[in-house]
Amino acid sequence: MSASTETNAVVYDNLSVRLGGVSILENVSAKVPMGSSTAIIGPNGAGKTTMLLALLGEVPWSGGSVKKISFDGQPPKIGYVPQKLSFDRAMPITTLEFMVLGSQRSPLWFGSRKSSRDKALELLSMVHAATLANRRLGALSGGELQRVLLALALQQEPELLLLDEPASGVDFRGEHVFCELLENLRASRGFTQLMVSHDLGTVTHHATHVICLNRKVAAEGPPKSVLTPENLSAVFGIHMGLVDSSAMPTDVPAACSCKLCKQNKDKNSNA
Amino acid sequence: MPDLSPIYELMPRVFPFECMQARFMQTAMLGILLLAPMAASMGVQVVNFRMAFFADAISHSAFTGVAVGMILAYDPTLTMPVFGVLVGLAIMATQRRSKLSEDTVIGVIFSAVVAFGLAVVSRDRSMARDMQRFLYGDILTVTEGEVLFLAALFLVVIGFQAWSYNRLLYIGINQTLAKTHRIRIAFYQYFFAALLALIVVFSVRAVGVFMVTAMLIVPAAAARNMARSAGAMFWWALAVSIASAVPGLIISAQDWARTAAGATIVLIAFAWFAASMLYSSMRGRQKA
Repeated sequence: MSASTETNAVVYDNLSVRLGGVSILENVSAKVPMGSSTAIIGPNGAGKTTMLLALLGEVPWSGGSVKKISFDGQPPKIGYVPQKLSFDRAMPITTLEFMVLGSQRSPLWFGSRKSSRDKALELLSMVHAATLANRRLGALSGGELQRVLLALALQQEPELLLLDEPASGVDFRGEHVFCELLENLRASRGFTQLMVSHDLGTVTHHATHVICLNRKVAAEGPPKSVLTPENLSAVFGIHMGLVDSSAMPTDVPAACSCKLCKQNKDKNSNA
Repeated sequence: MPDLSPIYELMPRVFPFECMQARFMQTAMLGILLLAPMAASMGVQVVNFRMAFFADAISHSAFTGVAVGMILAYDPTLTMPVFGVLVGLAIMATQRRSKLSEDTVIGVIFSAVVAFGLAVVSRDRSMARDMQRFLYGDILTVTEGEVLFLAALFLVVIGFQAWSYNRLLYIGINQTLAKTHRIRIAFYQYFFAALLALIVVFSVRAVGVFMVTAMLIVPAAAARNMARSAGAMFWWALAVSIASAVPGLIISAQDWARTAAGATIVLIAFAWFAASMLYSSMRGRQKA
């Protein structure tokens, strides 16, 4: 994590976005360190999702720029896990079929090819979802669907993984499992992760870099220095500031077994 | 022009009914055997994209297409499909740019196009006969030239479906996700709209404006109830469309029935749909 300050995967430079005459983002400058797990936090309507969509080229910006940088100078491959997949749940399509839609050209009415099936199953088992392969996509629970979407994003072999509110619609345990999964995948596959969250618990557990956003960037940096009562009340309003968040980044219970938490705990006990 | 008579001569043997002896019935049967599966296969996406209203708008614009042909003194069988495709592309282009909801965009363009057609027709009473044909369609007067065109269109549609079924499905599920998979959404949407418009216009010719949407979506809706996978949905839609078109056309020609072919076909398709509802609710109960 020490190298993370030297190279950045994404640089937001003075980005402004206006939609329908309403200012969504104002002069946002922020960076996403290469290889980091970066979290954008802020209240509803702060423009968090817009920051991701700007990166995907889904919203036009009125000023500034977003630079995506990768090791080889090519535009990086991006995997995207949307907040909520709003789709027609009555559509007859299996999870496996959904997984091969983007990679297989020959039509599904001739069945899926063995090669794409194997690849899909491999990705699904990576997110502990192999048993879902033959279930109908519309019958999956929120947490299951989220893992499938993660598997789909991994199919791109992303250098940059974007997640929009990965914890929404999942219960606490499910959220925990999902974040641990992400942590381990990031360690093994070495992608840069950028997620949007309004859940401080997730952030303090799993982020190495935090961007506090409320249309403008209020603070940016490692969680411990950013998640201060002053910054949080500036972004979320006074109530959130009352939470004793200065204790949160390191004093996490031993419930989480992921690498980062262990590191944090070790650091904590050494101190 | 290739000679289709061997196929026609096969018809009375495959469908051993007295009515199938007549050449116009043989032409009609071949025409509907091409048109119904084409419409049903596109219907799979019409249902997935929720574009039933789009199809409705195009079918009504067919009549304005006839009116445009009258003004420009062109053959309406030519102006109808061209005009239909243009309206389809115009709706798609407006939809992609406008913040208005899809049904609003369609409603606005649709009413403008139909108003224009009505304005033209109201000046010219002699269009009444064409109006009749537009309302009810007439598969029995389909010409051999039209059948040949349908056969060519059939190849294009099946080719398009084979080439882009997965991509269209992906776009139907979520556009942003599809885009991260580098799928060129605009291209598929315009191609699909143009092809759908062509099929719709030909369906108007065959079964009449009221029945077009049904030709597209009823088999696909039944297929949704029956299929457990996206691959199977395609085959179910084709099966239901053929199992409605063939008996529909034959029954409509029986002495005891003498009904409009389009309406008969759609009624039978609806019966299949009702059966599929029954099946799907029974399957649901079994699971619970």
